[in-house]
Amino acid sequence: MEITLWHLLDSLLAILLLGLAWSALSGTDLKRGVVLFMAFGLLLSLIWARLRAPDLALAEAAIGAGLSGALLLLALRDREKSENKAGQPMSLLRLATVLLMLLLAASFALAYVTAVTSNTGGRLAGLAFGNLEQSGVSNPVTAVLLNFRAYDTLLELAVLLAATLGILALGSERRPFRRPGVLLGALVTWISPLLVIVAGYLLWTGAHAPGGAFQAGALLAAAIVMLRLGGMTSEQLPHPLLQGWLLASGIAAFMLAGYLATFHDLAFLQYPAGWAGLLILLIESAAMLSIALSLGLAYLGGSPSGWDERSSRGKRS
Amino acid sequence: MMLTQLIFGIAGGLLFAMGLRSALIRESLLARILAVNVSGAGIFLAFVAIAYRGLEETPDPVPHALVLTGIVVAVSATALALALRRRLEEADDE
Amino acid sequence: MNNLLTLPVMIPLGFSLLALLWPRRASSIGILGLLATLLASAWLAWRVAGSGPMLLALGGWEPGLGIALHADALSSTLLLMSSVVALAAGTYSTGYFRERSDRARFWPLWLLLMTALHALFLSGDLFNLYVTLELIGLSAVALAALGGKRKAVEAALRYLILGLLGSLLFLAGVALIYAGYGTLDLMQLRNMLAPEPVAWIALTLMISGLLLKSALFPLHFWLPPAHANAPAPVSAVLSALVVKAALYLLLRFWLDIFDDVVTTFAAWLLGSLGAMAVLWGSWKALRAVRLKLLAAYSTVAQLGYLFLFFPLLAALPVGAARDTALGALILMALTHGFAKSALFLATGVIQQKAGHDRIEELGGAARALPVTVFTLALAGVALIGLPPSGTFQAKWQLFSAVIATGQWLWIPVIATGSLLAAAYVFRILGYAFASAEGVKYRIADGREELPALILAILATVLLGFGSIWVWEFVTPGALAVGEVP
Repeated sequence: MEITLWHLLDSLLAILLLGLAWSALSGTDLKRGVVLFMAFGLLLSLIWARLRAPDLALAEAAIGAGLSGALLLLALRDREKSENKAGQPMSLLRLATVLLMLLLAASFALAYVTAVTSNTGGRLAGLAFGNLEQSGVSNPVTAVLLNFRAYDTLLELAVLLAATLGILALGSERRPFRRPGVLLGALVTWISPLLVIVAGYLLWTGAHAPGGAFQAGALLAAAIVMLRLGGMTSEQLPHPLLQGWLLASGIAAFMLAGYLATFHDLAFLQYPAGWAGLLILLIESAAMLSIALSLGLAYLGGSPSGWDERSSRGKRS
Repeated sequence: MMLTQLIFGIAGGLLFAMGLRSALIRESLLARILAVNVSGAGIFLAFVAIAYRGLEETPDPVPHALVLTGIVVAVSATALALALRRRLEEADDE
Repeated sequence: MNNLLTLPVMIPLGFSLLALLWPRRASSIGILGLLATLLASAWLAWRVAGSGPMLLALGGWEPGLGIALHADALSSTLLLMSSVVALAAGTYSTGYFRERSDRARFWPLWLLLMTALHALFLSGDLFNLYVTLELIGLSAVALAALGGKRKAVEAALRYLILGLLGSLLFLAGVALIYAGYGTLDLMQLRNMLAPEPVAWIALTLMISGLLLKSALFPLHFWLPPAHANAPAPVSAVLSALVVKAALYLLLRFWLDIFDDVVTTFAAWLLGSLGAMAVLWGSWKALRAVRLKLLAAYSTVAQLGYLFLFFPLLAALPVGAARDTALGALILMALTHGFAKSALFLATGVIQQKAGHDRIEELGGAARALPVTVFTLALAGVALIGLPPSGTFQAKWQLFSAVIATGQWLWIPVIATGSLLAAAYVFRILGYAFASAEGVKYRIADGREELPALILAILATVLLGFGSIWVWEFVTPGALAVGEVP
């Protein structure tokens, strides 16, 4: 096995990644930690690109580094009782934990190396590519997500919903930002519509090229974040009743498509012949909206104005 | 079996362990949330390394889909954790 | 087509969305959804009892590429228990949550939790199991933090972080399995797994994650605060169901999928930890000041008993004796599920009517809330293991297995645990029956007290006398998900 320049690059990327992670996790300054974490996410996105996973690179940049980073930066405002004392001297206990950590990593590495060397086959890739034609899309990752393993994606949307509902139940949103200055205002005015357009593009193109509902949804959520930074208040969001519908739409679309099949005497989520492409696009559109609003509300930090009044009579004030 | 797979797989294992340790050791909730994210990223890295089949062949799409699902699950959990943490701070004023 | 298998998962999910969209009608929608789910679970269990295990290949794709759903006797029994407990606790919560906005927040999450639990019981795919574990975790945490009290939020956040770590340990195992065996389908894996390093390490990682989630000593420390500070119906489900889900997975892996890979040493390790859990949990329960804390520690102890079965099952040769022991394990798990949820619901009633749940100040409760105290007594009988409860039958079988395998050291553990349980149950009843002057209790209505009573009756009476049905249903085909149409 020859060592090429690629391997040199890989080693460099891996070492850099580990270094970023270590410094992000071990500093006392939390703000520094968060920023390093965002850099970690961006580097990871680069590594996904290196490993020929463009869908993941898009998603990691938008969600892993972008939205998570935005949430974490906002969270820095909340002061914590327990001040972090990471700068403790290296005691025996801490040394023991480092050894345990290395033991865990070594066991994992041992199993991993054994597994990868003994099983050099394509694993499920063969099956995936073999059935790609019937899946209704030509992007194999989309085929797996929205067709072969659609049930996982359905449950994943449920996970997102559960988190969103939890956040909404905890209290109301954070205070909005004040009116932006000239530069920020201009930036927001330019970038937000651009984000919406690119999101739509990514949704459409996800069927045959890297992209899809998750990346598109993340970009739409980013647009919400941008608008929020530009001073948007929750009154300017869609009406809370509509918000409920949007949150539910992704899962609902999946369930409808899934049970549509049962009328044709097929299994749940088995798209009828010829319908797969269209159904996938519809499900992805609905999912994009759900994801966007879920992540957007997460950024808002709690229930928007008018949310709790849905359960009582009367309109939002 | 490829060197690239090994490099990133082992790096993934190290990240996983590193994150796990930090999550248990650190007292700051924010640091623990960061640690959980790093740990998850380590496993994702292992998955994508498994999927990689070199520059000539298209990678195995199944782990990519799994990791994409994992990324969304991770951000959901992070968002909920941060919201709980914020509530904890506000609750102190009661 | 076996699309019936999707119903116990999709019905609560659909109703969760409905409760989200019509918050004013959230309670009615919720109860309707739980009833429909119970019907679906019962229908499924009936089908499995009649024609054996069922399989559904979702999307029509062959399992491996796609995800499969399975139901066998074990999973459909748990599904049924889960639906019953959820309905009972849900009925209780219509009285517990007074404010409309509280109910609007509660029901969608409650139904999502049910979706998650049922999805876990029916899943046949390793990564899908990870997703269901995460869904359970997030919805349980969100429910545990409802109400926003500081202690509840703190416990919920700790539960979340540890739960995530547990899931990540599980996921690490999944990655290794995929690397080594190239598939995520449980049935395929069952035939492919061999005793080799990949399988050992992957299993250890996954089991560690599951042990964290099933709160086996010493990884139990997150449970008491989380269960004790959550709203009563949530505590009921957390103790009765959520912890059982992780335990179910452990059983499934240990006895079924990975049965060629597990070692006797590991079984003994689990048994020893279980023994410590029994002793530690029972002791802390005896010393508990609050009823809910007692109930939470009691859960730690009762789960310890379940882990005692592992070394026994490892030592018994395949045959009738082993099947009986397995049946006893499942019976004990079921009984505990009903009894513990009854205990938490009854505690909830007391807490709301008395304003507190401190054990030493329970005087006058027997006179003011007779139904609830009777429920406490019944649940207590099931927790101690007195006849005719299901626990009694199960402990009897546990003793038989101990004698048959000669693993005598478990006997003092079981005996001490039962004695301590008797002590803490009688302590509660002692205070509750004491008379107290001038203590004010508010009136309780039927829907608050009845669900708990019904659950307690199930645990103590029905599962006790009906245990033979459980044995017949569960043991022969409990873990056989082989040749299915």
